[in-house]
Amino acid sequence: MGLLAPWFLAGTVLAGLPIYIHLLRKHSTTPQPFSSLMFFERRTQSSIKHRRLRYLLLLSLRLAVLLFLILAFANPFINRSAASMSSDKLLLVVIDNSFSMRGGSRLADARREALGVLESKRPSDHAQVMALGSQLHVLTEPTVDPGSLRAAVASITPGDSRASFGELASVLRSMVESVRTPIELHLFSDMQRSAMAANFQEMVLPASVTLVLHPVVKDAVPNWAVEGVNAPGEVWDPKKTRVQAVVAGYHTAAATRTVSLVVNGKTMAMRNVEVPANGRASVEFESLDVPYGFSRCEVKIDSADSLPADDASLFAVRRSDPRKVLFVHEANDTRSPLYFRSALVSAAESAFAVENVSVDQTGNLLPSKYSFVVLSDVLSLPSTFENALESYVKGGGNVLIALGTAGARRQRVPVVGDNILEARNYSREGQRFLNVGEADAAHPSVEKADHWAGVKFYFAVKVDDTNSRVVVRLSDQTPLLLDKNIGEGRVLLLTSGLDNLTNDFPLDPVFVPFIDQTARYLSGTESRASSRVVDSFLQLRSAKEQAISVEVVDPAGKRPLSLKEASSAQTYQLTEAGFYQLRLADGREDLVGVNPDPRESNLDVIPEDVLSLWRGNAHAQPAEAAAADVPDPVQKKPFPVWWYVMLVVLAAAVAESVFASHYLAIQREDS
Amino acid sequence: MQRFLDPAVLASISGLDLVAKTVVDGFVAGLHRSPDFGFSQEFAEYRAYSPGDDLRHVDWNVFARTERAFLKRYRGETNTLLTVLLDASNSMNFSSHSVNKMDYARFLAASLFYLANKSQRDAAGLIVFDDELRSFIRPSARQGQLHRLLSGLENAEPRARTNYGKPLDYFQNLLRRRGLVVVISDFYEAPEVIVKTIEPLRFHGNEVILFHVLDPREIKPQLGAPSILIDLETDEAMEVTPDYAHAEYVEKMDAHIAALRDRARASGLDYCLLVTDKPLDGALREYLNIRQGRF
Repeated sequence: MGLLAPWFLAGTVLAGLPIYIHLLRKHSTTPQPFSSLMFFERRTQSSIKHRRLRYLLLLSLRLAVLLFLILAFANPFINRSAASMSSDKLLLVVIDNSFSMRGGSRLADARREALGVLESKRPSDHAQVMALGSQLHVLTEPTVDPGSLRAAVASITPGDSRASFGELASVLRSMVESVRTPIELHLFSDMQRSAMAANFQEMVLPASVTLVLHPVVKDAVPNWAVEGVNAPGEVWDPKKTRVQAVVAGYHTAAATRTVSLVVNGKTMAMRNVEVPANGRASVEFESLDVPYGFSRCEVKIDSADSLPADDASLFAVRRSDPRKVLFVHEANDTRSPLYFRSALVSAAESAFAVENVSVDQTGNLLPSKYSFVVLSDVLSLPSTFENALESYVKGGGNVLIALGTAGARRQRVPVVGDNILEARNYSREGQRFLNVGEADAAHPSVEKADHWAGVKFYFAVKVDDTNSRVVVRLSDQTPLLLDKNIGEGRVLLLTSGLDNLTNDFPLDPVFVPFIDQTARYLSGTESRASSRVVDSFLQLRSAKEQAISVEVVDPAGKRPLSLKEASSAQTYQLTEAGFYQLRLADGREDLVGVNPDPRESNLDVIPEDVLSLWRGNAHAQPAEAAAADVPDPVQKKPFPVWWYVMLVVLAAAVAESVFASHYLAIQREDS
Repeated sequence: MQRFLDPAVLASISGLDLVAKTVVDGFVAGLHRSPDFGFSQEFAEYRAYSPGDDLRHVDWNVFARTERAFLKRYRGETNTLLTVLLDASNSMNFSSHSVNKMDYARFLAASLFYLANKSQRDAAGLIVFDDELRSFIRPSARQGQLHRLLSGLENAEPRARTNYGKPLDYFQNLLRRRGLVVVISDFYEAPEVIVKTIEPLRFHGNEVILFHVLDPREIKPQLGAPSILIDLETDEAMEVTPDYAHAEYVEKMDAHIAALRDRARASGLDYCLLVTDKPLDGALREYLNIRQGRF
């Protein structure tokens, strides 16, 4: 028995207060006149005794309230043996069901050992079962029912997530805030090194948690895996499409592995690759011959190791025809179509087919056939084409206009109709050229272009930017790139040119990403990834696309989203490996190949000294001793009893209140 | 009209004359009788004439019709003498509500005086005593007597102790004519002593009524805790317990009342217990019964 905060005992001086009130303040009774005492008899002695006894009882109750309250603040405790406290603990059984537990009989061993621990627990002990992946899944509430606990353990199936011991520690830290009883945590895992948190401090468990580790493997085992595949998400020209794969061996000897490229279940190509001992090797497939539409592809190796699930890496590609782009230029302008085509071909991998036409050839063209239209340095357009272009934009088409030097001879910007204010020929002015002053990095056209730093602009046309979003300005605040919505469509206006006469932009490296992003922006296409990792999030809709239903079909062919989630969910977490079929809010269909985290393929285990350090942080005892469940009889632990003292305070306070109110009621009646 | 007899209502009326008028008018109205209470000579019966009878009493009208002589007899009427002996000792000052015993006794005496003087034309007098004779207003039916009596009542403030022996000796010298004697007191004395002291009045042919005025808390005290009680007459302090007050005291008081009533009636004295939270009509009815029974 002891006190955790003995300085609160100084409050015992407060006990003098009721003593002063009861003993030092003399109670006085007001005499009452009566007509005659002829029939009364003196009964003084008994009444005083009665009253004194009542005062003493009230005094003792008040003293009890004060002294026990002070004692409760002093936080008394008693030393109890671990054996006597064992019935107060919560037995928490956590089974790792991450991807690496698919190897061999790891998960089965873990479940069997967990059932053994649950069998050995006392019938009165509460226990809870959880499964550990990237998140901790609660399978039961704390219960003493062995049937439900066994059923929960049996229901754990191997997952595709990556285990995170940091997540386990984080959940336990928040759990001890609500669970006041000590927790005995039994972790059944392959103790994979990759499951450790980057910072060991994140794995430290609270003091009230006793960690008992049950490693299902002792040492690392050799494992082969396809660590990653680099393949485009979209294919326009199969012969120019390359697929690169990295084959990794963990704790393996040097060996030759056969790598296969499989498209829609059919092996399209095979390569042999020499993989050094405990190393990596890359292999490349020069073509990806896939049919139009979506194809389910995978790169797999022959391995015969204990974890065959990571011997293949999935990816999905979509084959489609290149999008047509109409590039309109003056007949004598040969530079700008060259630069534009070169930049687009090198960046977009044949995603676009550029059709160059001079101004006088546009009379019979329909802009609606093209993904977007480029007007480069055009002095005038045939009225039929200009009218068709205006209708095209209002109906949802997009146009890139580079004004060039022809802008100096026009009053208005074609299609847009904004006034041209003046032409600025910087090469004839003192500074010779201007650089970009500011750029709106949030705009898709310039977000990867590093503010066009270093690009020299010799000529620009100043236009009225009242109704436009200025994306880039020159250092003299002249708008260089403007974005304007017209009807349903959009016009991107470059007030300089696409050749190297008005600037050196086409010769600068940032020209290629600018053309690539602008083409994707104006054509409404985005680069899609061919594969994703388990536990990553997939964006289902943008902020504008609310209340539009989406559809997700998981690898098992089920639709995991409810109707409400399908109409409101912004993102979806990919929890399984395999192919997901999607119908997004913008109406696009998509196919996503999802692979486990490649770190799960490394079956290296945490060294014993690190595990000991982890157990030591959690005040753990050796697993063997814990499994025997024999607490040390001499081990004493302080057991706080302030709660019971507060109950006594409450009882005394209630008794004092009842007694005092009765007494005061008598006093009022007397007065 | 009952509310006009409620002591609490009477206590709010200033002036004993108004109180007395209120009480008597209210009481008489409650009897459903004429307020002119038989003062003229009333016809009683006819009797056949016999020799020697006074011829002045022969009803000549009857003789003319029947040729037989009948005497016309009348009910005799007399006036009586009302003397009120009012105990003005300090114990009469006790009260547990708005009307103390002295006020109640004053209301009662005033009502009796009003009834006697205004309605019955009786002569009325007042003797106020405590441990000695404090004041004496000789019985009379003259004009202004009622105001003198009410004034005597107003001046009768309680003080000192009760001693029946000393003033009663003096009463016997004062009360030479027969009449009605009303003693209003709380009678905190042994019943034997009270009866023995008052009994000689009866020997003179007086009708004696004892009005025993008590507060309801005197009959049944209510103590929530042990308390110190001060005797109003002796200033003696005594600490008493609720148990005793609720049990033994009540028994003793009941025995005292019963003994006083029995001994008084055994000695030919009328006894009436009056509690100060009850209306006055009981006392007035008792008074009239005795008066009519006597005359």
